[in-house]
Amino acid sequence: MATETDHGPGEAVAARIERRWATLSIVIVALLVGMAAVIGIHRATMPQARVETADPKTLHLSGEFIESNLGSAVEPDGSVTVRAIGQQYSFTPQCIVVPAETPITIRATSADVVHGFLIEGTNINTMLVPGYVSDLPVRFSAPGEHVMPCQEFCGIGHQGMWGKVKVVDRTAFLNMTAAKRRLTCAD
Amino acid sequence: MSDRPLFSPRNPWFSISVGVTAGIAVLSAIVGLVWLPLVQPNVKFSGLWDAICSAAGVPRAAVRDASLKPEFKTSGVVMTPQMLAGADQVSIGRGATLAQRCAICHGPQGVSDANSPNLAGQFAAVTYKELNDFKSGARASVVMVPFAAAMSDRDMKDVAAYYAYLPRVPSNNLDVGRPAPAIVVTGAPMRNIPPCGSCHGDIDNKAGSPWLGGQSAVYIKAQLEAFASGTRRNDISEQMRNIARQMTAEEIDQAAHFYEAQP
Amino acid sequence: MLTNKRLILAHFWLAFIVFGLALVLGAWQMFVRSPLNTWHFNPEFYYRSVTAHGSAMGYVFPTLIAMGFGYAITEASLEKPLVGRRWAWVGFFLVAIGAVVAMIPVSLGRASVLYTFYPPMIGNPFYYIGVVMVVVGSWIWVALMSINFTIWKRENPGKPVPLAMFANVAGSYLWAWTAVGAALEILFQILPVALGLRSTIDAGLARVFFSWTLHAIVYFWLIPTYIAYYTIFPRAIGGRIYSDAMARIAFILFVVVAMPIGVHHLFADPQVGAGFKFMHSVFTGLVALPTLLTVFTICASAEIASRLCGGRGAFGWIRALPWSNPIMLATALSLVMLGFGGAGGLINMSYQLNTSVHNTQWVTGHFHLIFGGAIVIMYFAIAYDLWPHLTGRASEGFGLMRTQLWLWFIGMIVTTFPWHYVGILGMPRRMAFYDYANPVISPEAFSVVMSAIGGFILLISGTLFLLVLIRGQFSTKGEAGAYRFAIALHMPERIPVALNSFGLWLALMVGLTVVNYGFPIAQLMALSETNVPAVYVGASR
Repeated sequence: MATETDHGPGEAVAARIERRWATLSIVIVALLVGMAAVIGIHRATMPQARVETADPKTLHLSGEFIESNLGSAVEPDGSVTVRAIGQQYSFTPQCIVVPAETPITIRATSADVVHGFLIEGTNINTMLVPGYVSDLPVRFSAPGEHVMPCQEFCGIGHQGMWGKVKVVDRTAFLNMTAAKRRLTCAD
Repeated sequence: MSDRPLFSPRNPWFSISVGVTAGIAVLSAIVGLVWLPLVQPNVKFSGLWDAICSAAGVPRAAVRDASLKPEFKTSGVVMTPQMLAGADQVSIGRGATLAQRCAICHGPQGVSDANSPNLAGQFAAVTYKELNDFKSGARASVVMVPFAAAMSDRDMKDVAAYYAYLPRVPSNNLDVGRPAPAIVVTGAPMRNIPPCGSCHGDIDNKAGSPWLGGQSAVYIKAQLEAFASGTRRNDISEQMRNIARQMTAEEIDQAAHFYEAQP
Repeated sequence: MLTNKRLILAHFWLAFIVFGLALVLGAWQMFVRSPLNTWHFNPEFYYRSVTAHGSAMGYVFPTLIAMGFGYAITEASLEKPLVGRRWAWVGFFLVAIGAVVAMIPVSLGRASVLYTFYPPMIGNPFYYIGVVMVVVGSWIWVALMSINFTIWKRENPGKPVPLAMFANVAGSYLWAWTAVGAALEILFQILPVALGLRSTIDAGLARVFFSWTLHAIVYFWLIPTYIAYYTIFPRAIGGRIYSDAMARIAFILFVVVAMPIGVHHLFADPQVGAGFKFMHSVFTGLVALPTLLTVFTICASAEIASRLCGGRGAFGWIRALPWSNPIMLATALSLVMLGFGGAGGLINMSYQLNTSVHNTQWVTGHFHLIFGGAIVIMYFAIAYDLWPHLTGRASEGFGLMRTQLWLWFIGMIVTTFPWHYVGILGMPRRMAFYDYANPVISPEAFSVVMSAIGGFILLISGTLFLLVLIRGQFSTKGEAGAYRFAIALHMPERIPVALNSFGLWLALMVGLTVVNYGFPIAQLMALSETNVPAVYVGASR
């Protein structure tokens, strides 16, 4: 145990190695944080930009979440807005239909408790908190079907809260909008 | 070094740790609150201040742009779990008087064999909501609409309170030993059918969902079919249509007969 | 010098009994939700069980460990009896009674809201009152740690506080401030509604308050583990701590940056602005720093021990480590699980990667690996190490201990790795059952069975652990000698005031929390229209 008396050079070496490791750790952390910032800037994948409120008690009476306004709507600029609500224990619309290769805005909220909104096989994943509106820009690359479970415990029927998403070809979608202004694939 | 007072800018531990912490906080605030929001391509801000406020999460009401109005009447009831909790004796007494005219179909004690719903012991919010929907036209019924049309808001509350106060009476088909079908116990998760009891009271109660035990199977079946086909649409935001339209005819039948046999 | 052995034993025994019961529930949950079970059952039982499992494992078990271990550290490291023994017993009984008060409504199905509360769902008020009692009991411990620390410093001016005690007090302060978030949520939001005084609640604000507690609570759980890494492990394998100062800095970093990062749990929530989410994400990155420092110091300390015993070569020293020693084994397995869990944590902390795993089974896998794995395995090690000193009986059965530790490690890996995998597939968490016959879910069935098998292995390991403890109570009497903590390679005679006191660090902790949480909380509190009707769970039938 030479270390007891060896306060001079040994300690200095130990401190130097330790400082190097600390510096490396700081660099690793800085790199990770920087990565998040850079992706946020270049890929525009940041959390939703605004906090918006909506009264869950009166969603069905007025405003954008009334029953007849739920579903997918084509905007003047060619993009699509999907409006949906979560409630114990289903999403309305129960089946969402959207076009592929199109910028889509999902606007959704909850009518009662906290729900989750997850579309499997995609990175679309957000929370529905009663009182607040979730708004997220998404894009589906290819036609197909996805399941859309609620991912947050919302009561005893939570495990039965599974919706669906159908991604269809863009022209097929536009043909459907000729007959109806708000599209869903429920029924 | 260790003899210097800690809370002094001359102590390097103090100045470095406070400086570094404050520096990281300020830098991350500038990046998060100013820089990142300004470079988001899909959000339009009216200016720098708007961008900062939005990133800080200053709330605002959702924009009320033109929404598509319904072609049919939907329920106008504002449903909350606290609705009509704790009715007083006056309300129940008044409701008892008013309920005499309901007795022909619903029975003098809120129970009948006429395949009309048994109301004894029904949650007050349920009776109140359905009366409201009959009155507003959100729910159709040749028999009920004229009755409801003549009722004031207070009348509906009192009648609802009276029926909630009456004890539940089991139907003649009571059979508690009857095994529960899968559609009732577990539903069908991937078809978005939760267990019936998670809303209808046998496990938990969702505001506005009726107690089903002892109801006539004919009535339950008719309502499930009406929800499934969309001829009944007074369930707020499709909460029951979503489930009923996923059920097979056989499942509807099983559920209806199971609940008829329950207390 | 442990004078309050009964006090410490009471904490450990209650903690491990609660742990054993919650472990049985956990294994049952793994079974019923897997394809091994026909899912014809009332889902409410599942959520009831999850609530009990989470509350016991998250609130009661680690709190009792931190308290009991804290009292042991105070007496052993300061080498004087604990000041405030009566108050310590008051704290213990508050936790014990609180746990029972909370579990009664839960077991009756009157509070199946899960341990994260989820307002606007509201359960029976006694559930929340019980949780508050547990927290208040632990705050007595915080006060006692602070008092003992202060008294010792006054009696020993200028002397460095022993590292174990310094870290222990850091953990207690961290917990005191961490618990404030959930305490505000329960006392000012949930309880008034549960008691029927109010009928509405702002669920968004409640989630922000809870996030303040939810992340830093993990560091509260972690601190006993880190104390064991730094002050038990090197001594147990015959080595020394590589650096005393760096250890202190690691604990200080936890105190300062553990709190203002909780919003990373709310990345996907609509009620917090993107700017604050970014700020919290930056500080979440920083909290990896003390762990990186710790891993270095612990590995270096192990190398010192090995070289003292004749280990040589760039990697040969690893073989020369005393692997038959349970503490050595536990620490190594813990570090492996910490490594995997930490890597997963880095994924969760970035907003972009988080979206693909948020609220999936990935997250369940992640925190079971970190808490149930890396942290709890060191709780076992702490108990094994302390037991002879507490019972006054010889420590027997190293082989059984090693088997138990290996089983825990294997069980945890077998449980959590498939969990992570199905999470990537998108399997949502907190569901009572899944329809494995459906083609969308059937690819996940095999992994869920694996997880369930892992759960059974964990149950066996937990049973073995309790057996070892019981055996330790009845083995042959033997004086274990004074309980010692590891000392540093270069033991400092004097250290800077900053590394021997908490004033500055507590000021930074509170200041940073105010900066990162003040505005989001204030603006949500000012909002009245987002108060939504409470949804009472299990109330009316």
